[in-house]
Amino acid sequence: MRFTFKHGVHPAGYKDISKDHSLEEFPTPSSVSIPLSQHIGAPAASVVAVGDEVRVGTLIGKAASFVSANVYSSVSGKVTAIGKKRTAIGSYCDHIVIENDGRYEEVFLPEISDTDAAAIKSRVAEAGIVGMGGATFPTHVKLSPRTPVDVLIINAAECEPYITCDYRLCLEHPEEIFSGVRYMMTALGVSVAYIGVEDNKPDAVAALSAVAPEDIKVISLRTKYPQGAEKQLIYSITRRVVPEGKLPSDVGCVVDNVHTAFSIYEAVKLNKPSYRRAMTVSGAECERPGNFWVRNGVTYADIAAYVGVKDTTVKVISGGPMMGFAQADLLPSTGKGTSSLLFLGDDEVSDGDKPISACINCASCASHCPMRLMPMFIERAVEDEDALKAKKLHALSCLECGCCAFVCPAGRPLVQSMRRAKKLIKEKGV
Amino acid sequence: MSKYIVSSSPHIANQRTVANIMLEVLIALAPAVIASVVFYGFYALFLCVLSVGAAVGTEALYNLVMKREQTVKDCSAIVTGLLVAMNVPVSVPFYVPVIGSAFAIFFVKMLFGGIGKNFANPAITARIFLLLAWASFMTNFVPPIIWSKGEAFKYFACTFKGSAGLGDVAAMTTATPLASLRLGAEKVGELDVLSMFLGNIGGSLGETSALALLIGGVYLIIRRIIDWRVPTVYLATVTLFALIYGAAKGSVGTYILPSLFGGGLMLGAFFMATDYATSPNTKIGLIVYAFGLGIITSLIRFFGNYPEGVSFAILLMNIVTPFIDKFILPRPFGYLPPDKGGAK
Repeated sequence: MRFTFKHGVHPAGYKDISKDHSLEEFPTPSSVSIPLSQHIGAPAASVVAVGDEVRVGTLIGKAASFVSANVYSSVSGKVTAIGKKRTAIGSYCDHIVIENDGRYEEVFLPEISDTDAAAIKSRVAEAGIVGMGGATFPTHVKLSPRTPVDVLIINAAECEPYITCDYRLCLEHPEEIFSGVRYMMTALGVSVAYIGVEDNKPDAVAALSAVAPEDIKVISLRTKYPQGAEKQLIYSITRRVVPEGKLPSDVGCVVDNVHTAFSIYEAVKLNKPSYRRAMTVSGAECERPGNFWVRNGVTYADIAAYVGVKDTTVKVISGGPMMGFAQADLLPSTGKGTSSLLFLGDDEVSDGDKPISACINCASCASHCPMRLMPMFIERAVEDEDALKAKKLHALSCLECGCCAFVCPAGRPLVQSMRRAKKLIKEKGV
Repeated sequence: MSKYIVSSSPHIANQRTVANIMLEVLIALAPAVIASVVFYGFYALFLCVLSVGAAVGTEALYNLVMKREQTVKDCSAIVTGLLVAMNVPVSVPFYVPVIGSAFAIFFVKMLFGGIGKNFANPAITARIFLLLAWASFMTNFVPPIIWSKGEAFKYFACTFKGSAGLGDVAAMTTATPLASLRLGAEKVGELDVLSMFLGNIGGSLGETSALALLIGGVYLIIRRIIDWRVPTVYLATVTLFALIYGAAKGSVGTYILPSLFGGGLMLGAFFMATDYATSPNTKIGLIVYAFGLGIITSLIRFFGNYPEGVSFAILLMNIVTPFIDKFILPRPFGYLPPDKGGAK
């Protein structure tokens, strides 16, 4: 059996740019501005005031509800300002600006004596751990599924081009990852776990396999985008199909990113809250690409200044080139979900490459859609403002993975149409 | 103003564009064009050039007059023009493919909104139009030329008057092998199947050589420009029908190869039935569509009044396509029936 799913695309990988650079500590600048919304759900509420002294690991934002996450200071120093700033996804949220005293004095979470399911779950919630693959869904919510689960899947597919931080993590910290996975298995009460890695990273598969315990299986997945999409990954590994509008736990699965497992290890074993992450900085316009441990709140401008960015950069992307967000400027700060920052040149991006014409009905979008939708019909429904039709065509199941727009010979912005369709369905309430 | 481009994801794309697809189709048609020159001389090439010129000119002019964005750069008019030329016999006067192409582009493509919006394949509709308008020109098939006799430019004699320009018409024209299909197994058995396969017979420019079309068609499938299902199911259905018909006539295998290599089947199956805009958008839909093509083609060929049924089959199935697409929709990954909480 080949571990894969139907449809999808094969974009060029560009992982060679950064894959051989081991994780190094990113030199944190003299000031960081840490967003209070680094996760899906309610933004954390600030628990510090301007003038407060904080240390690495001081709680600065408290989870505002169950689906929310604590935010910790990533440096030691003084809070100099609290105010709204634009985030990488274009919305505004409160940021806490901290002047970095350069001493990195640490104040971690208290030791936990027991590592039973309840203790692990509450530690994960306390440490503010969210899905580190980029989706940033609070992990403690995922570890408390409403229906019983029997399989834990760790996502190390890293199917987006350019990104190599999870790959480096697998190579450099396999034992820590398994330790984190073990804690997650305990929290969920499952006896089987899989770690899925795309087969274009055989050394990561080997590094993990070398130390993998019996009950955690390392799976070499077929390299195909979007192999790391939750529902596709579940299907590739277990052949279970998550029904439309349902959650992975409805088919007995929980999927978490490999970096999340690593962060859980740090939180449970080392009492470290989530305040930094492994991140890839890459792209042809980047003079010194690499993989870095970046503390939350470092601005993109700081990163650009450190790695050196050419003037010919045409696009800056937070995240991968298939699903990431294009940045208008370098003001946003990194957060828990910032897996990569790409500085791309004209040759790398597709902007202007394909003349936009009318849909020629080639059905390429449909034959590549991993959710087996009909993007061209949904686009037409959107143009007719026909919310009911868009819904009947299952627009709400769209992952926004971008395969349709990637293959469209007419250069149509299909992902944008899918988003418009979802918005239309919501607005019209059909 | 931002110095960086801000746009919706994805930020990368593959290399395939509309023009790129059309160029691939032109590459795939090259063997058939070369075969037409080999069998009919340079007048065939002349017709192709005129036809393409007329198609591109009509689209350019339409866009100019209607003040629309110029779309000829997508090369689709070149494909249509060439296909129209492939659909006429070499003995037609020069204006037949020219008017055919202009008709295809103006009435079938541009009036309906241009590329992707046509309700039927423009080239096939033009062929039917020409068949009705100039029945004698369109059904007069002349024999291939003989290069050693210096006949390379022989059919330029047809430029203004069609086959009448060749002198004694009756002596010159040959019957289309397809006409033999209804004359009984004995007549069919006499057909030179190898010549039909290679193209050394009378016929329309592009449909003489089944081999050349097959090479181009396989190229399109390998390059993933067309879906293999359409030609495969179409040809398989025709084969099956010929087999059953042959069995009923007491001669099982006789009808199969002439059915496959005769007439416009290869051209239609690989190049015209596969037109994106006028074929269904789902894999199952394509199979239903191709099966319909095979049935209609065979019914017309064996029982109808016309010797050839490919054009009518394609036109009919083109018209049915929106209905196939309406009723055959793929089930999304994780489909739930509406009564179990899925999308209504």
